[in-house]
Amino acid sequence: MRVIIFSWEYPPRIVGKLAEYVSTLAMQLVKDKVETHVVTYHESMTGTTQEPSGVKVVRVANPVQTHISLLTWVLTLNQEVERAAANIFYQTKHVDLIDVYDWHFIPAAVTLKHALGIPFVYSVDSLEDHRSPEANLPFNMAIRGIEWLGFYEAQTVTAKTEWMQSEINRIYQVPKEKIKVITPDTNSWVKNIIATYKTAIKGGSNNT
Amino acid sequence: MNRPLNVMMLSWEFPPRVIGGISPHMYFLSKSLAKNGVKVHIVTCDFPGAPAHEVIDGVEVYRIDSYKNPSPDFATWVYLMNLNMQKEAASIVAKLPEPIDVFHAHDWLVATAGIGLKHVFRKPLLVTMHSTEIGRRDGLHTSTEKMIHETEAWLTYEAWRVICCSDYMVQHVKWAFGLPSDKLVMVPNGVNPRIYDGLENQDLAAFRRKFALPEEKIVLYVGRLVYEKGIHILINAVPKVLEKVNAKFVIVGTGYMRDQLSNIVKSMGLEHKVLFEGFVDEGNLLKLQKCADVCVVPSLFEPFGIVALEAMAAKSPVVVSDTGGLSEIVDHEKTGVKAYSNNTDSLAWGITKILLDNNFRNSIRENAYKKILEKYDWDKIAQQTRQTYEGVIGEYSKSFWA
Repeated sequence: MRVIIFSWEYPPRIVGKLAEYVSTLAMQLVKDKVETHVVTYHESMTGTTQEPSGVKVVRVANPVQTHISLLTWVLTLNQEVERAAANIFYQTKHVDLIDVYDWHFIPAAVTLKHALGIPFVYSVDSLEDHRSPEANLPFNMAIRGIEWLGFYEAQTVTAKTEWMQSEINRIYQVPKEKIKVITPDTNSWVKNIIATYKTAIKGGSNNT
Repeated sequence: MNRPLNVMMLSWEFPPRVIGGISPHMYFLSKSLAKNGVKVHIVTCDFPGAPAHEVIDGVEVYRIDSYKNPSPDFATWVYLMNLNMQKEAASIVAKLPEPIDVFHAHDWLVATAGIGLKHVFRKPLLVTMHSTEIGRRDGLHTSTEKMIHETEAWLTYEAWRVICCSDYMVQHVKWAFGLPSDKLVMVPNGVNPRIYDGLENQDLAAFRRKFALPEEKIVLYVGRLVYEKGIHILINAVPKVLEKVNAKFVIVGTGYMRDQLSNIVKSMGLEHKVLFEGFVDEGNLLKLQKCADVCVVPSLFEPFGIVALEAMAAKSPVVVSDTGGLSEIVDHEKTGVKAYSNNTDSLAWGITKILLDNNFRNSIRENAYKKILEKYDWDKIAQQTRQTYEGVIGEYSKSFWA
């Protein structure tokens, strides 16, 4: 199984808790014989590296340096994420699945799905509604729109808690069956993730 | 290749959505390419009442949801719209029976969609740079302008070839983004003189009377009312022209300078001599161009100058500012009159010269029309564009992407 993980933070770039989580997950996946690529952002450390653990990391920077908001920064950076993922696809001939962490790289995952038939899992760490409660500016609505697109286009959604599962269901009307709850820090954590990947790949290939 | 060339063009406007010059350019270029054996798929923004998919003279037109939620600002909307455009274009391409050979983007407004599609399908990207931010704004003064400029730079970097519509634009784009000369191609913009044929023998006297008295000459301006178009230079020239000739100034188009301009006209006490017509529909615009005694294009920055070309096709004499693409279109005192750019006296002189001399006016009409047929014919432009595609595909076929 060959999987690409999209995350906007990955060590050494640490913004919140996601970097550490994705890094641990990638190492565990490699141990369990999943070929794991991580595509992430870094301002200067761009290019492909293989970590001692076997995780392959591609770091891309934004070709547009001047920005007016996080939104314009994200929407331009997505093309580089797409380019990195497409390079992996064309070099290896096949990618089974993309696992996208939070909304930032949903646009790239959606294009790759439609262009190359790679299904994706949307792994939710947080939602715009909780990050910016009661903010209804066009800026927040656009981010919510991207989250909605992610839920709509994803083969499967994962959440870390049942509370998050019900929030996704409440805010975005995503059927609960589509949202898999996978609790980290348990023994079956990686096993559950791999099982979810396998189901998503199977479902994705049925669609195409 | 044993099958026709398969091209996907991206543009934020295509008729009936008309915002600027790109829309008519797309329309005529795609139709002429289809006539010259190229299969063209256009992906563009939606428009009320226009179908999501239609075939126009062999050209496939797809109109995508152009993001209708409120946006923080125009530039952010552009990137959000590109997200949808890219997604829709990706699924269209994936379902086509034949692969797309070339993606062809028009301006930064479709930059991120074009760049993304190039990489996911690994096909060459071409771009036509109709304009630049640094030219439109006469420098880069805000973060938004810098961001757009850098997006344009990125787009030209990712493109296999950059097409510009005038020699002036080739030099300008080369300077603005530091591009190597062999990446740039000049293919002129075109005009279709046939659209005026139906008006050739019509009596337009009654139509003309809606705008001007029989003894008044009509001075026509067509364009957005924005700084770069130099419309304020023309407004300032009005009293100077009226000293010598009785004329009516008909201003077609709208823009953020409209109130400011009509205040200037009021303060000069010339409201009866200057008509602000706002946006005029296609049929009436053609008639106005046909009735005009002179068309004025006073731009301060003009990559190409399609309005001048349209006037020439309508056999209306033109006065243009000697700048950008306009300098190449007009041969001074042969196919029109060139005035110094940003110079009210010079512009007034040019307008007066044409209006006062009947023989001069008629010779300019004839010469200009001849030049239109020789150089700005869409068929020839489509052939040049096709050759550019074929050149790129030839180089691509030897690359590791092929």
